[in-house]
Amino acid sequence: MDERLRETLSAMMDDEADELSVRRLLSHDDQNEVREQWQRWQQVRDLMHEAPGTSYGVDVAGAVRAAIDDQEVPAVKAAATSARAGGYWHWPVAAMVTLALLVGFGAGAGWGTSPGEAGNALALNEADKVAPQLLLSTEEVALQRLDEQQLRQVRQYLLEHAQHNSVGAGRGSMGYARMVSANGGY
Amino acid sequence: MKSPLRGELAMVRRLMVVLWVLLAPAMAVHAENKQAEAPSSMTAMDWLERLGPALNMTSYEGVFVYARGDRVHSMRIAHRYRNGQVEERLVMQDGGSGEIVRKGMDVVCVLPDQGRIRLDEVIPSGPFAEAFTSQLMPVSQWYQPALVGEDRVAGYDVVTVDLTAKDNDRYSHRLWVEKETGLLVKSHVRDVDETVLEHFQFTSLEITDDIADEKFEVQTEGREITRHLGDPEPQQSSVGRMTGWTLNWRPDGYMAAATPSSSNGKAVAFSDGLATFSVFVEPVKGVKMPTGASRVGASTVYIHEVSAAERPFLIVVVGEIPPETARKVARSVSIDDALAQGWIASDH
Repeated sequence: MDERLRETLSAMMDDEADELSVRRLLSHDDQNEVREQWQRWQQVRDLMHEAPGTSYGVDVAGAVRAAIDDQEVPAVKAAATSARAGGYWHWPVAAMVTLALLVGFGAGAGWGTSPGEAGNALALNEADKVAPQLLLSTEEVALQRLDEQQLRQVRQYLLEHAQHNSVGAGRGSMGYARMVSANGGY
Repeated sequence: MKSPLRGELAMVRRLMVVLWVLLAPAMAVHAENKQAEAPSSMTAMDWLERLGPALNMTSYEGVFVYARGDRVHSMRIAHRYRNGQVEERLVMQDGGSGEIVRKGMDVVCVLPDQGRIRLDEVIPSGPFAEAFTSQLMPVSQWYQPALVGEDRVAGYDVVTVDLTAKDNDRYSHRLWVEKETGLLVKSHVRDVDETVLEHFQFTSLEITDDIADEKFEVQTEGREITRHLGDPEPQQSSVGRMTGWTLNWRPDGYMAAATPSSSNGKAVAFSDGLATFSVFVEPVKGVKMPTGASRVGASTVYIHEVSAAERPFLIVVVGEIPPETARKVARSVSIDDALAQGWIASDH
């Protein structure tokens, strides 16, 4: 990807891209590369804007990538633990990481469970193996991978809901976009 | 079995469609009159009034980007309003090839045989077409409208309208509305802290009545699925009906709008005119679902399990609402024991 395209992406993030350059970006041969760059920057941007300290941010960004690559991520566990203890983390950061973890898994792959809810103990144990624990709002959250059937089910809910406001809300294209997005990226 | 009540409701629904069809052109004329005035004198609400009719009745083609969470999709769209009928074709621009073609109430989807989703899951199947559009919602009661400026999107001059949520039970929206037609060309859904959760934007756009017919024809090879929107299937429930369960709390301003046609779920959709959420209530079957909240962009999925008549039930709230609101809604559902029993019985 050349410098100009990169600039366009960057401008899009700041909401300042002009039409021509976005068009050029969208016709770029390797859309995967564009998407990846967009994701990376969104993470970085969010970290810069929302994270209380840059050093934390760097750790998390690395951990997110690691988690996406489906690796063990002790660093994040440590960060999350300290977060709970000190309450450093603002919730947008946690939400960002939660969302970042969804990349590649599709909707509903990351799952927040609040303590005291049914099945939570199990969730926590499973979460320890695969995913970091984070803060979501004031609730403690465990991220847990859904199995194939559960994913299907969640997408089904998203789809049915999207249908209500596609044709229904007269939103046309917007509703369809949500619907396609709910389908897990085509 | 067809109950007389259901027949009546179907009739009411048809009447609502007729009303809508009659009213829509009148509203468009109204909008045009507004446009004839100096645009500078138009308020945020004036622009919002034009938005609805413009979405369907403007003819245009272009490419838009839709981003939620970290997913970005782009789609090419051609949309035409002719002889009172909407024709629309959407072609996915990234990932696998696929398209959705709509002519009036007929929809054809061609989707790539990719991923783990059954093709037919993606098709709009419900009779929702009239449900929301027939209600004129007092949006300004729940959102503070404000004209925040002028801008340019996809080569068109636009005005920017902010709809700031008046409470924490909904997200705020920013809309970019094309000046001549009132077409929505860009929108943001924002969290309280101004984070953009969902982003929709035309990157290329031409507003024109001159679109070739072949732009509305299916061109992708693949399995086609055809559906007629608004075909009430025999077992369908009707607008706003909740059977066997009650919602004891919902955020102010959300009204029951439509009941989806899903065969196994008992669901009701609610809307405040801008945001919607759906509540699904069904007996737990087969798949054991985790409970709690998950968020993709502006969409929250909240799953809660309760038991009624000694059977586990799943309550799922899905919508463009904050997780905390979804949680409160889900936890306010109570299931009627007797009805739950009958429901289980009829399910087998």
